[in-house]
Amino acid sequence: MKKLSFLSAAVLCSAISGSFFITSAQAQESYTVGVEASFPPWAYVEGGEFKGIAIDAMDAIADEAGFEIEFQDMPFPSLIPALAAEKIDILATGLTVTEERSQNIDFTIPWWETNDVVLVPEDSDLNVFTAVCCGARVGVQGGSSQQAWMEENIVNSSDIDVELAKYDNYVTAVDDMAIGRISSVIVDDTSAQEYINAGRPVKMAGKIYIRAPLALAVSKGDPQEILGDLNQGILSIYEAGIWGEIIEEYIPGVTPPAIPGHMPGFVDTYQKPVAGLPELGNE
Amino acid sequence: MNIYDVLIRDFPFLLKGLGVAIVLLAALLLIGFVLGMAICLIQLYGPKSRLVQWPLKAYERIFRGIPIIIMLFIFYYGISGVWDISAFGAAILAMGLRSAAYQSQIFRSAFQSVPAGQMMAARAMGMSKLSAIRHIMFPQAARHAIGPWTNEFSSEIKETSLAYVIGVVELTRQAHYIITSTQGNVLTVFAVVALLYFILNRAGNSLLYAFERKLAVPGFEK
Repeated sequence: MKKLSFLSAAVLCSAISGSFFITSAQAQESYTVGVEASFPPWAYVEGGEFKGIAIDAMDAIADEAGFEIEFQDMPFPSLIPALAAEKIDILATGLTVTEERSQNIDFTIPWWETNDVVLVPEDSDLNVFTAVCCGARVGVQGGSSQQAWMEENIVNSSDIDVELAKYDNYVTAVDDMAIGRISSVIVDDTSAQEYINAGRPVKMAGKIYIRAPLALAVSKGDPQEILGDLNQGILSIYEAGIWGEIIEEYIPGVTPPAIPGHMPGFVDTYQKPVAGLPELGNE
Repeated sequence: MNIYDVLIRDFPFLLKGLGVAIVLLAALLLIGFVLGMAICLIQLYGPKSRLVQWPLKAYERIFRGIPIIIMLFIFYYGISGVWDISAFGAAILAMGLRSAAYQSQIFRSAFQSVPAGQMMAARAMGMSKLSAIRHIMFPQAARHAIGPWTNEFSSEIKETSLAYVIGVVELTRQAHYIITSTQGNVLTVFAVVALLYFILNRAGNSLLYAFERKLAVPGFEK
């Protein structure tokens, strides 16, 4: 008995110490890529494997640039703090470029552009105006760009009476709408199309054209000096057609926006010369 | 593929998540036990000096008074400036240190339930303080502690589900994967997960009850 408990204690100890300390003797060219793996089609887990546009594209970029990557899943609200604290090296998910975020992290060139849609139940007769007014409860993901946009343009700056319900992720928001706790969900058009393709009883009541760029991100100041590699990688998988194939696989029928897309002036890494692509950038 | 097929296919991953939860639980209870016992013994039998007692009291109050989710963030992001701790390590540390605060009070009341006269009698017989604690007080207190300790065990099992906020892929996070990759099915998936937590909880509790009955102090049986 004593032997057994000693043995199990030894097993436990080694199991703990194995994952407790991050080996400092890590190979130079290996990076931890933080993803929010409950955000299809960008990143999710199916049958125990990471899948999604950001996952496949990141793999292709790493191949191109010749470095190793390892994915680390984290809930979305923890990802940007983790990148800012350098717990992860790269953030790859459907990450929207915003001015506030650009003060804490550095963005690669945009690789996608989204607009937001107002999602309502299939049998609803709400339209884009009636869905977002008159005391409605509207669902968003906490910490998302949709929440920021709604707060900036509706909740804090107009007389429109809307209450935001913030969720951990969009799937629970859509579920809550099915129960009737909220009347609509503001979500990006890529995800919205996913829910409709998956046969969920929802429809788009209307679109909000915000032309939000999506990009990868690294810690502020690019301490690993990988921003250039990532920028070149994004452009080269786009030009080689790999990007198009990945998009076709996950969101069939959608034409990907051209890369590089619109680069907002408020992002400092979009000033000329852009890392790795010196001919690009805002003057 | 309907949700039941997905659940059957992905069940091994739920079990893997359950395994992570169990290792986390075992590690945090172990840290909590060792540290909690030390705190309790010093509080009861250590020097009465404020210099010793005050920091222990502060520690215990702070860890019992702050939500674990905030502790998880503090340990994961806060320590990273000094020490590159993994999410799993941060979870073990934050939850283990908090469990120590709770366990110290469980042990303290168990020791206090042993009549103080026994300590005096042991000292009068010429036993040193340490050997009186070891041979007279501890064996009785430990038995009294099993019951209340079961509560700590049960609540910590459930709290391991919070570790996902800093990126520990335990049972709840594995459930999230299934929910989001199938675009829904919150109720079905969480029902299965609830069942797994429940089974683990009951199994642990039955074991502890059996232990408690077997080791009950004569005269204190239920």
